[in-house]
Amino acid sequence: MDNYRQAKVQKFEEFVDRRLKPDLVSAIAERDKVFEQQKIFSDLRRNIENLEKNSVTSLRTMVNLGSEVYMQADVPDTRRIFVDIGLGFHVEFTWSEALNFISQREERLAGQIEEYTRLIASIKAQIKLVYEGIRELLQLPAERSVQEPIF
Amino acid sequence: MEEPTVRGTVTPLSSMFPVEDAQRAAKRVEDALSEKQQELNQVKEFIADNTNLINLVQKLPEELHHDIMVPFGKAAFFPGRLIHTNEFLVLLGEGYYADRTSKQTVEILNRRGKALESQVNSIKAMMQDFRAEASFFDATANEAAEGLVEIREEYVEENSSERVSDSGSIKQRSSSFSEADNTNVEDEEYARMMSRLDELEQEELAAEIDNEVDEDNQNQGNTAKNDKESDEDEVYARMMSRLDEFEQEELAAEMHNEVDEDNQGNTAKNEKDSDEDERAVTDFDQFSDQIARDHNFRHSEELRLSKPPQQTKDKKTSEDLSNNYRHQQDFSDQSCTDLTVQAVTRDIVKSSNAEKASMLPEVKENVGAVPSSKNESSKPGIDNSKVSAQISKPGFDIQKAFTGSVVEHSPKIQTSTQEQTETSSKASKPVSRFKMQRR
Repeated sequence: MDNYRQAKVQKFEEFVDRRLKPDLVSAIAERDKVFEQQKIFSDLRRNIENLEKNSVTSLRTMVNLGSEVYMQADVPDTRRIFVDIGLGFHVEFTWSEALNFISQREERLAGQIEEYTRLIASIKAQIKLVYEGIRELLQLPAERSVQEPIF
Repeated sequence: MEEPTVRGTVTPLSSMFPVEDAQRAAKRVEDALSEKQQELNQVKEFIADNTNLINLVQKLPEELHHDIMVPFGKAAFFPGRLIHTNEFLVLLGEGYYADRTSKQTVEILNRRGKALESQVNSIKAMMQDFRAEASFFDATANEAAEGLVEIREEYVEENSSERVSDSGSIKQRSSSFSEADNTNVEDEEYARMMSRLDELEQEELAAEIDNEVDEDNQNQGNTAKNDKESDEDEVYARMMSRLDEFEQEELAAEMHNEVDEDNQGNTAKNEKDSDEDERAVTDFDQFSDQIARDHNFRHSEELRLSKPPQQTKDKKTSEDLSNNYRHQQDFSDQSCTDLTVQAVTRDIVKSSNAEKASMLPEVKENVGAVPSSKNESSKPGIDNSKVSAQISKPGFDIQKAFTGSVVEHSPKIQTSTQEQTETSSKASKPVSRFKMQRR
């Protein structure tokens, strides 16, 4: 009986360590990626709005050639902008079209973030549940008490 | 000198380094190694980027402008073109930028490349270390799994201590090998080592004295050598104190052997004392009849004599000590060649060598007393009569060598020497694995 309990506890712990925790880590990483995307698009939106506000039609900027070596670049016409729409495709937009696309894109990203947050919460809840189960398994019949991890 | 008792211990290697632990250690080192490998790959990537950039920077000024897509944030770009193609803004670090031409930029990038190269080299060196470590752990794990045992024997005398882990056949025996079987072998060996140590000490002392004599005779006014001489005195004193320390350590560690050691230590001391007395007398006797040949003989001998101490003692004494021995040796080599050039024919040296082979033990005994008197010359507390005799006479040692008493344990000495050099000399053979672990 004791052996059985021991085996059960070990199985639970393995489930937490091998399944739930890696899942949690990868979910958090995914969410961070989406956050990054969101930041990129919000920056782009702000920049385009700036261009619009100042009605800049030509632009001089510095291009990073790599390893923090910059060179001047000239943009003769800023009214046409190529925006990354995903999967390596870029679409030529005017400013208003671009802003429209960006707002839709931001909405979508926000939804994704929400999704990931929920996923993370549920994984954390499962971990807690399993630990609670282990604690019960050990505590009720035996006098031993297990320090449960705090999340 | 020989009293049979159980000395030394037989320890299964697996009890000191459990197999799992060794394997775990090996695994950890492997992990560190792969980490380093990744780091190396990353740095190599940087280097590739850097060379590409150098090519680009060199090529860009060839045209007045290049049509490119100008990035606008990470997700968008404009069609545009590069202008001012010979003006680069290069990051110097800490947020400082400099306007540079293409050529200057290439120079900067080359310097960056060099820094990266050195980084690669250092990572590679580290990886090499890790690899050596990993192979060592693997070997240990395997050996522990095979049931290898370590046999260690504590060795105590008033002058030195030597730990001999016989790397040969004994170590290979299985862990079932009992300590009782060991006893006789170890006793014999112990006795041999004791006698050997006595002699070695005396040899060292003799070597020092020889140097002194050489200086007096041949290199008068050579201050550099005199300096060395006093150095040697210091070294000797330090060595002695070190040896005492070791002895005490071992005494503490080896409780059950205490009685034996006391007895043996005393006898050893007595022997030496009587030797010294003898020596002093003979010194005076031979005071008057120095022969040129003696010098040569002595020097050739000295060459041989000065070597053994290095091999056997370097383990125990600090590094500077062994360095000093090397000095000594160099010096004696020098003086020997000088002599042959000067006055003596090769034949004499050779024959004296041959003689020496058989006479060696006695010679050592004779010489034994010399060093103490030599110490006196620079340090207080030694017989004045001896000092004067020795300082004025270079040749006496040799004379005595021919007439001196025969040492009982001389036959055993050769074998023990070999064993010791095998197991303990760093130079001739890779260090015993067990010692390496401990250091």
